[in-house]
This record gives sequence, structure tokens and C-alpha cells, in this order.
Amino acid sequence: MRVVIFGAGATGARVARQLRSSGKVACVEIRDQQESKARLLVETLGSGTEFGEGRQIGGDTDAVVLATPPGSQAAVARRAVHRGVPVVATSNQMSEVRRLLTLEQEALHHRVPVVIGAGFMPGLTGLLARHAATELDQVDEIHVAKVGTGGPACARQHHRALSSTGLDWRDGKWTRRAGGSGRELAYFPDPIGGRDCYRAGLPDALLLVPEFVGVERVTARQAATRRDRLTAPLPMLRPPHAEGGIGAVRVELRGRVGIERRVLVMGAIERPAVAAGAVAACTTLHVLAGAAAPGAYGLAGIADHLTLLRAVGDCGVRPMRFEGMTTFL
Amino acid sequence: MGGRGLLTLIRRAMVALFAGVSVAAAIRVRGSGGVPPQKGGWRALEGSDLQ
Repeated sequence: MRVVIFGAGATGARVARQLRSSGKVACVEIRDQQESKARLLVETLGSGTEFGEGRQIGGDTDAVVLATPPGSQAAVARRAVHRGVPVVATSNQMSEVRRLLTLEQEALHHRVPVVIGAGFMPGLTGLLARHAATELDQVDEIHVAKVGTGGPACARQHHRALSSTGLDWRDGKWTRRAGGSGRELAYFPDPIGGRDCYRAGLPDALLLVPEFVGVERVTARQAATRRDRLTAPLPMLRPPHAEGGIGAVRVELRGRVGIERRVLVMGAIERPAVAAGAVAACTTLHVLAGAAAPGAYGLAGIADHLTLLRAVGDCGVRPMRFEGMTTFL
Repeated sequence: MGGRGLLTLIRRAMVALFAGVSVAAAIRVRGSGGVPPQKGGWRALEGSDLQ
């Protein structure tokens, strides 16, 4: 099997490493706009990896992984779909996720899956939401939140998102809300604990709403400090770090079992780029195994989500559950 | 309205604007978020949880 990875950054490098070590991918081709970065990664990983250039997708490609900075993935994804090659995209930019979702008809026509937002959030959050939903008869509300950033591109997107308009799903309608508003204290897995989270330009609702019929509210928030909020409208005051520290995601589902209302809280803790790399690599292997249906969707819509969730757990990104407050009526 | 009246109006408008911005900034920066859970805890999902 041959997989082409676009992007040799913090996430792309981890995807390449995981795919190589899986033993199921004979060749991983790595491409990056910064040629030296791609070449360095190929040298580091050694045999079974190749340096590649350009945006053309060869006929011998079995899957394409997009781990480039947000904003550059949709065009490559369309090209891959037209070649009949499955796509795993890691973008967490709202406008790009919209564009990727519009590939639905083309993906169905070419009978290939386009898995969108295969990262930490969106990505693992979708899997956790799908898993939690199996315990409910009806899902009424989904609220997701995240702490932390991966590589520099992720940090820039995090900064932009806080000053961008958020998109909530409320009572069957899309509602635009100001980024940086709607403070909520979300309790993440230890040692992160409680963090104030705010609305931001996050694409999670776009990916979750189509997968949960009858859901009334879907919101997404990201943790931010006071300084983050004050400086969000400005350009980044200093260059982003090479890679952020420990991060976490939290997924809260509210729904019903019979007449009983329940709250389920799932989460995970890991460095965001490590988790995103693990999720994207496991999703790629899932796609290569033929377990993903044709179409364009997020991880909440992937077939056999338990196998994928177990695979992600085996890569060290352990799904967690908050216990002690599951029932409130 | 004389020149002095106009200056007073502008001064009052600026004071009002400054006060409004100060209050908004204080609320934005120092507002309260909520209360963390008082019981319960996180548990890693094991094999049987993922069947």
C-alpha cells in the first residue's frame, strides 16, 4: 500500500511514523511546501518513505493524508477524489471543513471516503461522541471543548479561531455567535482540570449535526486565557512555539434513555499533535482496510467506530470517561 | 449651541465612552466562568467499555 502525506509538520510527521510502524503501509510519500522539511523527515524515518513534490496524485496511491496548514487542503482533496483516492483531512478551519463537506456528491460518485477533521478536535471528539451516543436512546445536546495546540499551524489557527465567529446549532437552526463569548468552565481530565472555555470559529458542529438525527444543540468551545482573549483580534505578538504542551478534549452529551435524562462526559488527554497524528494514522489504516463508507463526513459518521477508537487507544491516546454525574433526573 | 457647550458635550461623550469601554473590558477579562464538579472523577475506558 502507498500513502501520500501532504505536510511534514508536527502532525504529518507523526502520521508518517505511525503508518510506517504499522507494517501495513509499504511506502509513505511525504510532501511539503518546504522541501527541506519533507526531505529531513524522509531521512529521519528511513526506508519505506519517499520524498514527493507537487499536488498531483499518482494512480498507484491508496490514500492521501492532508496535514498541511488549514486553508490548503480542499483543493488537494478534490483532486484526490477525482482520481478515486480516499482522503483523510486534518483541517480544523471552519471554511475549509465546509468546502470539504461539499465533496460529498463527488465522493459518492467516485465511491471513495473523504474523512474530514481527523485530528484531536475535531476528530477524536467525534469518535467519543459517537461512542457515548450508543448509551442513549436520543441525543439532545452535544458540547465539545478543547485545551492546547499542536504545531505552529495549529497555534495560528487557534489564535484566529478565537476572534472568528462561532457556529452553534440551536433548536434546529444555525446560530452565529461572537468568538471569545460564552464563557464556560469545562472540567478536563487531570492534570489539566478546570479551564474557562469560549466560543470560537470551530468546525465541530458542522461535522456533528449531520450524524446525530434530532440533536437540538451542538456547541464547540476552546480554552483561552485572559491574555488570549484580549490579544485575539491582533496578529500573534510572538511566533508560535514548535509544539504545544499537554492538551485535552472533552465531550458532553445530554440525552434520554427511556424517560430518564442523562449526561455523559467523555474526554482524552495528550499532546494535541501526538493525538492528531494517532487519530489521522489510525483513520488512514481504517480507510485502507475498506472499513469507511463512500462520502464526506467527520469521524462521528465513520462505520465501525469502536474498532477505530480501540486502535487510537492502542496508540496511547486513551479515551476517558467522567463518572459520578451521569444521571440528573 | 455655543462653542463651550459643544466642547462640554464632546467631553461628556468621551467620558461616557471611556466608562463604557472600561466596564466592558472588566467584565470580559474578569467575569466568572462557573463551578467545577464537586464529586466524581475521570476513568480510562478499558477493554469491556469498548466492546
